[in-house]
Amino acid sequence: MGNSSLEIIINLAKTVVVFLMMVQAVPILVWLERRGSAFIQNRFGPNRVGPLGLVQLLADAAKFLNKEDFVPDKGNRLLFYAAPVFALIPAAVAYMAMPMSTPLKIGDSTFLIQGYEVNVGIVFILGISAMAVYTMLMAGFGSSSKFSLMGAMRASAQVISYELALGLAIVGVIMMYGTFNLTDMVLAQQGAFHFSGFGREFSLAFLPNWGIFYQPLGAVIFFAAAFAESNRLPFDLAEGEAELVAGFHTEYGGFKMLMFFIGEYGHMMIASGLMTTFYFGGYGIPGWTIAEVYQTGVSIFGSETGGSIFSSAMHFLSYNVKFAIFLWIFIQVRWTLPRFRYDQLMDLGWKTMLPWALFNTILTATVIFLASQYVI
Amino acid sequence: MSMDTMLFWFLSLIVIVPALAVVLLSNPVYSALSLVMTMVGVAAVFATLNAYFLAGVQLIVYTGAVMVLFVMVLMLFDLKHDLQTFSRGKVSGFLKIAGVGVMAGLLVGAISLATKKPSLIVEGSPLANELAATVASGADNTKILAENLFLRNMLGFEILGVLLLVIAVGTVALSRSKGGTHARD
Repeated sequence: MGNSSLEIIINLAKTVVVFLMMVQAVPILVWLERRGSAFIQNRFGPNRVGPLGLVQLLADAAKFLNKEDFVPDKGNRLLFYAAPVFALIPAAVAYMAMPMSTPLKIGDSTFLIQGYEVNVGIVFILGISAMAVYTMLMAGFGSSSKFSLMGAMRASAQVISYELALGLAIVGVIMMYGTFNLTDMVLAQQGAFHFSGFGREFSLAFLPNWGIFYQPLGAVIFFAAAFAESNRLPFDLAEGEAELVAGFHTEYGGFKMLMFFIGEYGHMMIASGLMTTFYFGGYGIPGWTIAEVYQTGVSIFGSETGGSIFSSAMHFLSYNVKFAIFLWIFIQVRWTLPRFRYDQLMDLGWKTMLPWALFNTILTATVIFLASQYVI
Repeated sequence: MSMDTMLFWFLSLIVIVPALAVVLLSNPVYSALSLVMTMVGVAAVFATLNAYFLAGVQLIVYTGAVMVLFVMVLMLFDLKHDLQTFSRGKVSGFLKIAGVGVMAGLLVGAISLATKKPSLIVEGSPLANELAATVASGADNTKILAENLFLRNMLGFEILGVLLLVIAVGTVALSRSKGGTHARD
């Protein structure tokens, strides 16, 4: 937790701040989604309330809060109320383990720019976000409507299926960096493209040392599976409007519905954050190592604290730029691709992505073994 | 009371109360969700024992995969019929009591075994020293676990894998045989 009471208080406050950051990003994403879809479909989108329609979201929130609190007559009240609350927990808890910048050193105290550090970061995040399935199941069962139940079943079957491909795609990354720790992974991706193996040194000065250049197949599988995990188009069969009205949240309205939304966007954020951390250098800045950034900060502000603050701020910016790009890809894909059919979805998961992910794992293991054992 | 002890008692409560609820509640969906809670609690207990990897795997495998299937099956099937067949009859009553007896025996055996030191972790052995060093340094003990599984106890690990395969094949064979749930006409 920390060595002094100040550190403990700040670390506790940080968990709240990270959660609030996540929740506050949701309205912006919703705005981006609506304006972005309008842009893609050659419409205007919400542009009347406030500049660029930005205040529309406040109006929406006020509307959601004022809506009638409705429970289906034959529904299970406990599960019906518990499901939306539960939707927030896995996303928020998992996102806190994401390293967002270099640690901030002020005097003797060190503050990590993340909710808390978990040594087995990946396993923790996967384990916690795996619990999101219960939200859908609770909502689907609690509503006691057949659309909800069918939607919940579809969603959970899909999430379980794609979790396999997702997990196996990450195995390649874990083997390559030899660690579960997300910060260690980011540190391993600093500098220019270089690696040693087969008794030689390889380097390319113009490429950053990012995971995507070592694990391109794994990155593609991971990103595709992440779409399925967060139930976004083209994998949003859970709420196939043409067949199921709205899937597991058919019976929900008002603020409870909004909480499901926040959960879904939370999963999108986790996927974007993991994608950045695994394959795109995390908070690292291409062509500018962490030590160099720190030195620049020291020379500008003339103190180590200043250097540390400068380094944290720059890397936080770098992380958020990459993070935002992936969030935008999520939105762009949603409004570009049509939805899969259910059998296509299952075929893609089990017959295409799982074998390719297995192949990627075996290939990575073989190459790592050969590179460490033989000399060309 | 130290922080660790307090945490231990709190987590014990979180594990044991839902575990009792699994047995005592009559609604099977509630029972299954309580079992999920128990699994999460067990994962948290692992985390307090510095076994972070085990905690994560416990979450992924049990809460993320096994229990989801349980809950899905429970929600999809009409359980009133099964409830009646299972709660009546002298034979099933006898089986239940016998099951409780076997379970109690297993528990007593497990507890009495757990109080002894496992043969692998003898004091002064290289493994024990390594374990003590890792725990003291607070580092990740996943590597030791992997070495234990894949180098020292390879045979046992593989045999367990084969056992799981046998179970999977057996389940399919049983369900597709005459009178099974997926019988071929």
